[in-house]
Amino acid sequence: MTALKRLLRPWRGLLLPVLLLGAWELASRQGASQAYAFVPLARIGDGLLELLASGELWLSVAASLQRTCLGLLAGVCGGFAFGALMASSPLAERLLGPLYHALRQVPILGLIPLLALWFGSGEFTKVLIVSLAAFYPMALNAFEGFRNVETRYREVGRLYGLTPLQRFTQVNLPGALPSLSTGLLQALAFAWVSSVGCELFLSTGLGLGNLMMNAETGSRMEVVVIGVLCVGLLGYAMNLLFSRVSQRLLRWRAPRPGDSR
Amino acid sequence: MTAILNPRLVGAELPQPGALAIRGLNKAYRIDGRPLPVLQGIDLQVLPGEFVSIVGTSGCGKSSLLRLIVGLEREYDGQILLDGEPVRGPRLDCGLVFQDHRLFPWKTVWDNVALALKHQRLSRREKAERVDEHLALVGLTGFERAYPHQLSGGMAQRAAIARALITRPKVLLLDEPFGALDALTRIRLQAELQRIWAQQRSTMIMVTHDVEEALYLGDRVIVMEPRPGRIRHEVQVDLPHPRERNAPRLQNLRDELLRELTGD
Repeated sequence: MTALKRLLRPWRGLLLPVLLLGAWELASRQGASQAYAFVPLARIGDGLLELLASGELWLSVAASLQRTCLGLLAGVCGGFAFGALMASSPLAERLLGPLYHALRQVPILGLIPLLALWFGSGEFTKVLIVSLAAFYPMALNAFEGFRNVETRYREVGRLYGLTPLQRFTQVNLPGALPSLSTGLLQALAFAWVSSVGCELFLSTGLGLGNLMMNAETGSRMEVVVIGVLCVGLLGYAMNLLFSRVSQRLLRWRAPRPGDSR
Repeated sequence: MTAILNPRLVGAELPQPGALAIRGLNKAYRIDGRPLPVLQGIDLQVLPGEFVSIVGTSGCGKSSLLRLIVGLEREYDGQILLDGEPVRGPRLDCGLVFQDHRLFPWKTVWDNVALALKHQRLSRREKAERVDEHLALVGLTGFERAYPHQLSGGMAQRAAIARALITRPKVLLLDEPFGALDALTRIRLQAELQRIWAQQRSTMIMVTHDVEEALYLGDRVIVMEPRPGRIRHEVQVDLPHPRERNAPRLQNLRDELLRELTGD
């Protein structure tokens, strides 16, 4: 019994998805109209093979991933610099803070019409949207992280005569690292969602969002489902990768209750 | 013969001097625009190599005094002279051990101690030797790769002492260094501090609220009184080191100090 339990333990997370799949298949067999809304699993499988063979899925995934990476890089770097600036200079915080906090309230997808008007609906606008989505959480967490580095640690830096650069690399940066890593994880999630989201709104070019929009127009519901699955799985995989990396970087922290070891 | 008498060469052989002179020191914090005096009219002379203990109830400004001496606080009236030179900011020949060990949680014990050498132009090997030597001095050999959260309070405080000593300060200030430790660990670390002091011969000034600790370690014990912080009393502890913890002379002095601190 316990041996069986141990064998099944790593697969616990799959239980619910498998049950859902079963329910889905059951629903698809309740008649023709249901089969349109809940595409039978077999048709989804066929569609997947077709998309893989034509290379369309690879191209879409690559386009979406590339856009996410570019936007994430720009947004994270910008957010890091912006947050660090606001944390280190009260003047910068007073000048930039209100504008930042006001703009932060606007859902990123709500800015798409304006941005499309200004910059067209090409690749640049999409990357800009993704980088904005990554920028906000990164800036906020960088700001909080740098500002909350404890004075008692800063004093140690002063005591041992560290240069400003050494104070940054030895004290402030590692002190802010937990918050920075939270910011990065949030930025990743927002970047991925907005990358696919802006493809739904700006229908030129390649991407998983475009794939899904075109499939919907052509009533290819199985392709829509494949798109949804890809977005979910890729997002999950990227989140897993980033949290592993941040766990490694933050291994100096005392384990807290609830941490998996 | 003349070479031996050359004062510069002799100075290199002898332990560094570390004379501290404080004259007419006043310090006030501003609370809501009004000055709140924390230290008033402090006069204190500390000889090179002397161990001075400062005791007093909380709020008597003893921590502020150490922060002024080490240069973390810069606004004051009066004079603070380290070997004749006024203190203007933190300097490496004056070290400070805090009550909380203040090791960086993101660095290993070894890296925390090595941090104090960041500014110094030493080869990697020299640096490594000095870190290893100081970790051995405080009995932490074998824990180089541990992170602070993996250490007990006593071990963390030992690492903090190693970090403070590695710059070879002329004066080492200790701000209730054992205040957060359990009684047994405290007794063991007091004995170790006495051994380290005898070995290094640097000037040490320790703030504590433990009268027995003050007497066991100090050549001299200064009693401070609060609001505003002033020096109230001074006791010479004329016993050679290392000392017996329960020497009758220490018992008598303890009674005298406790009377000073509690009664009027």
